[in-house]
Amino acid sequence: MSNNKGTLEIRNLSKSFIVDNSPLQILNNINLTVTSGSFVSIVGSSGCGKTTLLRIILGLENHYDGEALMDGKQIVGPGTNRGIVFQDHRLLPWLTVGENVAFGLDKLNRKEKKLLVDEHLQLVGLIGFESVYPSQLSGGMAQRVAIARALANKPEMLLLDEPLGALDALTRMYMQKELERLWQLEKITMIMVTHDIEEAIYLSDKVVIMSSRPGIIKQIIDVSSSRPRDRASSEFMQIKAEILEEFHLGTEYTFAYAI
Amino acid sequence: MAKKFLQRLGLKDKLLAIIVPLLVLAAWQGAVSQKLCSELILTPPLTLLNTLLELAQSGDLTLNILASLKRVMIGFLLGGTSGFVIGILMALSPFLNRIFGPLIKALQQVPEFAWMPLIIMFLGIDEFAKYFFVAIGAFYPMVLNTYQGVSGVPEKYHELARVFDYKSFRYLFKVIIPSALPSIITGIRLSLGLSWMFVVGAELFGSDSGVGYLMTWGRAVFQIDLVMAGLILVGVIGFAMNFLLERAEKQFLLWREPVDGRPA
Amino acid sequence: MKKLLISKKTKGILGAIAFPIVFIAFWQLFILAGFPSARFLPSPYKVLQKFVILFSDPTYSHNIAVSLQRVMIGFFIGTLAGFIFGLLMGLSKTAEKIFAPFFHAVRQVPMIGWIPLIIMLFGMNELPRVLIISVAAFYPITLNTFSGVRNVPREYLELASVYGYKGLTLIRKIIIPAALPSIATGISLGLAMSWSVLMVAEIFIQTAFGIGTQIQRGRDRFDIALVIAGIITVGVLGYSMTLLVQKIVKAVERGQVISADK
Repeated sequence: MSNNKGTLEIRNLSKSFIVDNSPLQILNNINLTVTSGSFVSIVGSSGCGKTTLLRIILGLENHYDGEALMDGKQIVGPGTNRGIVFQDHRLLPWLTVGENVAFGLDKLNRKEKKLLVDEHLQLVGLIGFESVYPSQLSGGMAQRVAIARALANKPEMLLLDEPLGALDALTRMYMQKELERLWQLEKITMIMVTHDIEEAIYLSDKVVIMSSRPGIIKQIIDVSSSRPRDRASSEFMQIKAEILEEFHLGTEYTFAYAI
Repeated sequence: MAKKFLQRLGLKDKLLAIIVPLLVLAAWQGAVSQKLCSELILTPPLTLLNTLLELAQSGDLTLNILASLKRVMIGFLLGGTSGFVIGILMALSPFLNRIFGPLIKALQQVPEFAWMPLIIMFLGIDEFAKYFFVAIGAFYPMVLNTYQGVSGVPEKYHELARVFDYKSFRYLFKVIIPSALPSIITGIRLSLGLSWMFVVGAELFGSDSGVGYLMTWGRAVFQIDLVMAGLILVGVIGFAMNFLLERAEKQFLLWREPVDGRPA
Repeated sequence: MKKLLISKKTKGILGAIAFPIVFIAFWQLFILAGFPSARFLPSPYKVLQKFVILFSDPTYSHNIAVSLQRVMIGFFIGTLAGFIFGLLMGLSKTAEKIFAPFFHAVRQVPMIGWIPLIIMLFGMNELPRVLIISVAAFYPITLNTFSGVRNVPREYLELASVYGYKGLTLIRKIIIPAALPSIATGISLGLAMSWSVLMVAEIFIQTAFGIGTQIQRGRDRFDIALVIAGIITVGVLGYSMTLLVQKIVKAVERGQVISADK
């Protein structure tokens, strides 16, 4: 599927909300290029506008200044070429796992639906759970269903809004490996918002560092080490130190180590 | 499930739950047979049972129950359906909410039975007036609970619908109504309960059939056992309707029950 | 900023009164248009005229006074009995086991169902009317007092036992204050039920005075304006009572918070 689809071009993008009758700048002059099939993470402290940026790319936030182009076309609303995984799995509790995965496939017939649902449940390793309700799943399983739902539509770009934020540390590391596997398998562009720096380094080709008030891109760091990445390698640690430095946490980090 | 519950309840509780009502019934029967209390005022349980059996044998029982049930169903369907539709419209359209909201709130201030004389003046005292009266009772809980349920659909589901391009009826039936279903079902239950109360009221007001009629007739011929039999029927049928609906609710809302107590 | 607030408030008030005005205007137009179905329906103006007559008629105020008195007596008895009964069942598991099955069985019978029986037992006089009103208040207050007492947080009870609170002191200082929000809900529900059942009592158990009686009388005389005036009176009185009780409940809760702070 690497037919050069799934590119993103953001130019001079700014966005403000009206709060108490006065405008509050959320994003200020954002410029970002995402190439086809790459994995890009956006990190930053809460309130830096990273989720707003993702929602603009998804098409849920309109009315912005500047340009946000998906495959060369201005984004004006949600579309099936972009899939989304929210932090809360956002599965509909009254639908079974299978029906949830098929949620975006409503226009297909029953047979085509079943084929795609099976394929994607297989992909996330949940075959046999079709008729289970979301309330019966663990957090990690629910998030895998959400990923299957997003991928079932065959998007060219998958947007991930802190997808692993609600999981415990071990499940989280396991799911990071899963995400990497799915990304390599599907060969689509993935853009992930996270506040976990290690997660960003582990998964991304590019880590976009944002800072708040108003949200700007501070730095974009390329990560070119080979996969799967070793969290304990010196290269990994070095990149991590570099990013922490951007957040003015670098010195304290080494200081803490010295003790 | 039921077995476990009984086990947990314990034998002592079970005995208490059976013995206490039996004792009361026995005391009641004894009081009447010992002439502590006139049979004309307090019908003993055995006579009451006899009355019910006689009613069942003569066919009056089935006839009157069916007459009441028919009225409940028609009135409930009229009032419940309109409440459902108006509730959805109000929740989805701020404009309609501004029109119906104050009207419904104002009308709700009036106890339903106060409408009865007015309804009779306009519609007479025939079947249609009864349906209409029952429909009024069914309408309020349905419109309020549907409105609450639909306007309480979480923003995150609305967003999801936008992302997956769900619109109009598909959006309504696949996202909005399922999400509001718990509240809607509560509305149905309350609505049916009130319908039952109102049908009895309408029949007491003037009728030639139904459980309410059984009681007015009993009063007219001063047969207190008939009145009490009617009372028991009213209670039992109301209870049965609620019980069946609770069962149906559990079936409908299976997805709400987490297997190991984890919230959905 | 201040100007903005005022204009917002006026806007809200305008929005709230806009609908009734439009509604009444339509009603009047409907009558003026002379539809055959509107033959019996009095115009808003006629209802207003009826109100003017009623206000100078001592029977009207007497009807209101009698209804209010009736509902207050019934509500007071029902509240007191419900509170005691609910408290008893909430405090004692044995009491619950003995009374709860009965309570729930009897509760299945809609209030209206009792009418023929209590008329037969007590005749058409004031006692059955007050009785049925108090029973209407009794159910919700019993239920809410019970659940309020049962759901007093365990932490409070543990705290009380640490400080050696027992018996009446425990009930007065911990259990009732903790259950108060639930009891207050029961009281508002109970009042609404009482007011609703007042109509049942006055319409079904014939009486000389009362707002329900006035509505019935209007029906007998085919005076629809009188019936509508009665309905409006009932609605306005019921609404004012609801508002009043809400205010009292809020004040009590606030008082509770303050005394808890001390």
